[in-house]
Amino acid sequence: MEALKEFVNILSGPQYSFTLTLIMFYLLMKYYRIIGTKKFAWGFVILMTPVYLWFMSDDVFRTIIATPDNIPISILLFSVFFFTWLTVHKAAINDERIEAGECPIEGLPENREKVWSWPNLVYNELFVIIAGTIFLIVWAIIFKAPLEEPANPTWAPNPAKAPWYFLGLQEMLVYFDPWMAGVVLPVFIIIGLVAIPYIDTNPKGNGYYTFSERKMAISCFMFGWLVLWIFLIIIGTFLRGPNWTFYGPFEYWDFHKVVAEANINLSEIIWIKMLGTTMPSNLIVREIFGIFVILAYFGISGAMITKKWGQDILEKTGKIRYYFFLFLVLFMATLPIKMYLRWLFTLKYIVALPEWELNL
Amino acid sequence: MKLEPGMAFDTKVQNKVFAFLSILLLLSTVWVILDDYIRPWKAVQIKALDIKKEVLGEKLKAVKASVKPEEVAALKKAIEAGQKIRDSRQAEVDALKKELGETQAKIYAQKIINGADGSSSSAMTFQWEMKKEHGKDAAAKKLKGKLDALNIKWGKGKDYFKQLTTDEKNVLNAIAAKSKELKLAQKDYKEKAGKLDMTQEAYDSASFFSDPINFLRNAPFIDYLDPTIKIQQVVAENITEDRYFKQTEKVDRCMTCHTFIDKPGYEKKDNPYKTHPNLNLMVGADSPHPMKKTGCTTCHGGEGQRVFDFNAAEHRPENEKQKQEWIAKYHYHEGHKIAQPIRKKSQTEAGCVKCHQGKEFIPQADRLNKGRQLVQTYGCYGCHKIKGWEHLRKPGPSLYKISSKVSKEWTKNWVWFPRHFNPKTKMPHYFNQSNNSKPEFLKKNVAEVNSIVEYLFKNSKSFSPFTRYNGGNADKGKALIQNVGCISCHQVEGIGNDFNKVGSKKGPYLTGLGSKVSGDWLVSWLMRPSHYQEDTVMPSFRLSKREASDMTSYLLTLKNKKFSEMKFSDLDRSVRDELLLEYFSSFDTIAVAKTKLAGLDDHQRTLELGKRSIGKFGCYSCHNIDGFEGRSPIGVDLTNEGSKPVTQLAFGHEHIEHKRDVWFKNHMLNPRRWDRGNNKGFKDLLRMPNFFMSEEDADLLTVFLLGQNSEKVPMAGQKNLNEYEVAEEKGHRVMSKYNCYGCHNIDGMGGDILKATAYADDPNEAPPILAGQGHRVHTDWFYNFLGNVHTIRPWLKVRMPTFNLSNEEKNTIVDGFRARKKLPVFEEKPEKVVWEPGERAAAKKLITEYACDSCHTLGFNKDEPMAPNLHHAKNRLRASWIEKWLKDPQSVMPGTTMPNFFADGEAQEPSILGGSVDRQVTALRKYIQEIGEKEFPEAGWYEATGFKKPE
Repeated sequence: MEALKEFVNILSGPQYSFTLTLIMFYLLMKYYRIIGTKKFAWGFVILMTPVYLWFMSDDVFRTIIATPDNIPISILLFSVFFFTWLTVHKAAINDERIEAGECPIEGLPENREKVWSWPNLVYNELFVIIAGTIFLIVWAIIFKAPLEEPANPTWAPNPAKAPWYFLGLQEMLVYFDPWMAGVVLPVFIIIGLVAIPYIDTNPKGNGYYTFSERKMAISCFMFGWLVLWIFLIIIGTFLRGPNWTFYGPFEYWDFHKVVAEANINLSEIIWIKMLGTTMPSNLIVREIFGIFVILAYFGISGAMITKKWGQDILEKTGKIRYYFFLFLVLFMATLPIKMYLRWLFTLKYIVALPEWELNL
Repeated sequence: MKLEPGMAFDTKVQNKVFAFLSILLLLSTVWVILDDYIRPWKAVQIKALDIKKEVLGEKLKAVKASVKPEEVAALKKAIEAGQKIRDSRQAEVDALKKELGETQAKIYAQKIINGADGSSSSAMTFQWEMKKEHGKDAAAKKLKGKLDALNIKWGKGKDYFKQLTTDEKNVLNAIAAKSKELKLAQKDYKEKAGKLDMTQEAYDSASFFSDPINFLRNAPFIDYLDPTIKIQQVVAENITEDRYFKQTEKVDRCMTCHTFIDKPGYEKKDNPYKTHPNLNLMVGADSPHPMKKTGCTTCHGGEGQRVFDFNAAEHRPENEKQKQEWIAKYHYHEGHKIAQPIRKKSQTEAGCVKCHQGKEFIPQADRLNKGRQLVQTYGCYGCHKIKGWEHLRKPGPSLYKISSKVSKEWTKNWVWFPRHFNPKTKMPHYFNQSNNSKPEFLKKNVAEVNSIVEYLFKNSKSFSPFTRYNGGNADKGKALIQNVGCISCHQVEGIGNDFNKVGSKKGPYLTGLGSKVSGDWLVSWLMRPSHYQEDTVMPSFRLSKREASDMTSYLLTLKNKKFSEMKFSDLDRSVRDELLLEYFSSFDTIAVAKTKLAGLDDHQRTLELGKRSIGKFGCYSCHNIDGFEGRSPIGVDLTNEGSKPVTQLAFGHEHIEHKRDVWFKNHMLNPRRWDRGNNKGFKDLLRMPNFFMSEEDADLLTVFLLGQNSEKVPMAGQKNLNEYEVAEEKGHRVMSKYNCYGCHNIDGMGGDILKATAYADDPNEAPPILAGQGHRVHTDWFYNFLGNVHTIRPWLKVRMPTFNLSNEEKNTIVDGFRARKKLPVFEEKPEKVVWEPGERAAAKKLITEYACDSCHTLGFNKDEPMAPNLHHAKNRLRASWIEKWLKDPQSVMPGTTMPNFFADGEAQEPSILGGSVDRQVTALRKYIQEIGEKEFPEAGWYEATGFKKPE
């Protein structure tokens, strides 16, 4: 049992668990019809319940899960699982119908009938409001506010964690300069979300669940949502302990745990390791390779993607929409790319210009 | 069921859902209110009322027992009788009241008239002055006429008003006279039985349920108006706490549950209803630390606003047993991230320190003081810098002349494990500890010890004893050691528990000296310790050569055969070189280090490693060692150690509670434990030595360390020492350095030697108690005495030694005593005593009658003296003290053998000087002053006593 726990601890390491998540995400997208069946769902629940109970039987894991701060994350976790499955389930049914030449379930005559918004909608919304209020009241009574000690600039709590919904961002700080992880990336997330209705003018999927008709759009969004946001929150909440060090789910948060971290910049790899010279004093020259890599990433890979897969969309949506979309997707992809570069090559920054507060 | 068109849901069903949810919301709202309203401390306060009633009930019983019921009945009857008389005069009273009403109406009216006239007069006066000033004489004249008339009218009005008020007073007196008898009876009752009523009233109202209005006052929602059950708090004066980066006044609410903490009478009750156990010192309104001014958490620690329930306050259990009790009683558990829990009860005194700075010992802080004493005994301050402790001398003996005192072999074996030689030594243990007992470490340690000793002996100055030991009488020597005063600082092997139970650790435990030092050295040391070490605190007992030889003879019989047979392993040169290489390569490459090593010859290498090892272990922190002058001590600064974040304390792999006090205690018990399970190299091993401390000592030192914290109190809130207290403290520090307290009980402190059986049985044989010494002796005499110690009490076997005091130290001691009594430096000594007629003859008669010369024989007769020589008193004793002493010796020095001739303010000899105490005492004092010699020590004294005159 201990060996198994040890294995789980290792497997939860960000590099492995992220890869696993990627694989699972791929499987979800690929086999959504199987996953979307009720049989699969029940099978999954039946299979996972003992696993969950086994996890909960561990003191360390239980302590972390039961911390009042972390309760919302558990709720989030279960609801994300459920609603993701629900959409997949509905999409799977509809896609089958569409393939068979039928209309989606939502398009059936009985589902197209119109009803009064009062009381059918507004009244029900009121119920939800009341029920939500009751839930919050009871929650607040039972679990007292998990306050930290009074703030003290000379004695910060360790780990100092952001509110749970920002833990994904905090996790990004491991891989990016604070300026990138804290400002630039979040801004692009917001811009991207705001831009969706303007970029995506495809009417397919409006008012009904489908996957096969919107494979690319849904995959892109779900990748950002599930893999890059939810997964990072889980890591940040449950698996990051004192000093923001990684701890497996069964690993005691030992304050003194030591991890080897020696990251180097791309410029250092090239100039010193590969070319065997000193670092050039001119900043631009020093970082020229990194800058080139960045430009090439956006330029060359952008052009290649456009050539291979993008022609169709380019024609349908127009240049501005397409290139903006392409930029956002490429930008999103920098996060996993940077993570893998870190894990594989202990790469610190591709462009390291701390003199200008610009590290990429 | 078929729905109407346009409807997706059945409204009736929806209505039911709505109703259900609404009821749930209502219930949860009620729950919220109750959750907010029902607070555990309220129950505590309601129960406190019951306890109060219980206590008042006992009080009522006592009061009832003190007043007889018949008496109360008689008093009540008297009131009734008085009331009857009063009633019989009702008509007269009515008439008077009517008159009073009329007079008061007139007073009211006249008051208005006078007020108007007065203000008009002031206004007119101003106008007139202005007119006159601006030269409008005609108008001024006209106005003056008016003003004069008005003033006359106003004057009359005022006069009439006085008349009226006199009338009113008369009528009131007349009315009061009508109920004179009743008033008297009432007053009588109040005096004799009023307490009964008051207690009864207090008893009746002391219950929550006694008054139905209490329910209303404490009902939910309206309990904000004027509740009886409420949070109690004090805002401490001049004591602040850090609240989010701002120093704010300390607010303590502990008394919300500790309801009677400041009220006497609840001592026997259980917590939280108990009275504070030391109300005279703490919390009590008349104590130096009243609750309203000092608060609670100031001393006890903790966060004063935490009142919800027992757990919210973050009490800390004293031990596992109490923890279990609390779990059973209060469901005790530790809180979530509490920055400042309450201190354990045994650690409360750590809270004294932040306000009581600048004093070595804080009165009544027993555990803290013991802890601080231990810091001195163990010499913690040697390696660890502690602010306020810089004045102390190095705890270990000087090693400047070590080669003339002990042998190399002895020193090696000693350093290796001091307890092999002296099981009670204070020298801590560096080697053979839990973290360095691996063979490879032992080998390196052996090389280090060899090198250290080599270095010490190479750098030792030469010294030769000034006299030779030619043998002595060990039995006589033993008796001398027992009696002369050695035991106030040393415990000595073989002299018996009667003497060793003094238990002083000031000087070393004397054992095995025969295996350690030579006879010549010891004789010379005993006779004049400063000859070997200039700055020693070991005093000279003015021993004759004979006496010193006898003592030496005894001490040399103490041998440690096993130790002297030990052979310390030889220096392993390859290990030595390996260690040196490691040192050299700290900042250089191995190659450079090797060159450096090759540049040194064999002996130089040993010395180099010796020096580096002394630096590594910090030997120089406690001992004076040549070549290490001015080096900083090696330990962590302990000034604010008590505030060190727990996360900065290395608990290593030890399975103990992660708490500051637990770490401190365990650190003291075995400082090397934190290395357990660590894969450390030789040079990184923990170096703090093992003191083989008892748990009790470790606990006390923990209190000390917790007190060394960074809590800040504004200057106004601290105990600031005044000039007297500063002088007293300075004096204390010098006396502490030389261990005056070992022999003398000084104003209640010290006197350890009195524990020895002989002295406990007969205090007159013991060193004198120094009570009020600053008042007793003249400062100049005292100063001289400290430099030229001589016999005052010739019957004593124990000797006041001659200390190696500097002039400044002597002055500081004298001034410290003076400051304790807040006296001027000098008190007049008359050149010539002026007698009243007949007074001198009376004084002589008194001396005979009171038989002063039966004890104070010196200079009077040839009997064995039992009290000091009165001929020396004039120069020694302050006149005012002599008088005080004569009047009541026991009050000055409890237990003295001096009889009291003036007990209860009456002279035992009433026939002399009219039996007046004051006159007799004055006459005696004058006589003593008259016979007093002029200079001290008087010529020929040294010759007469046989003591050696100091150079």
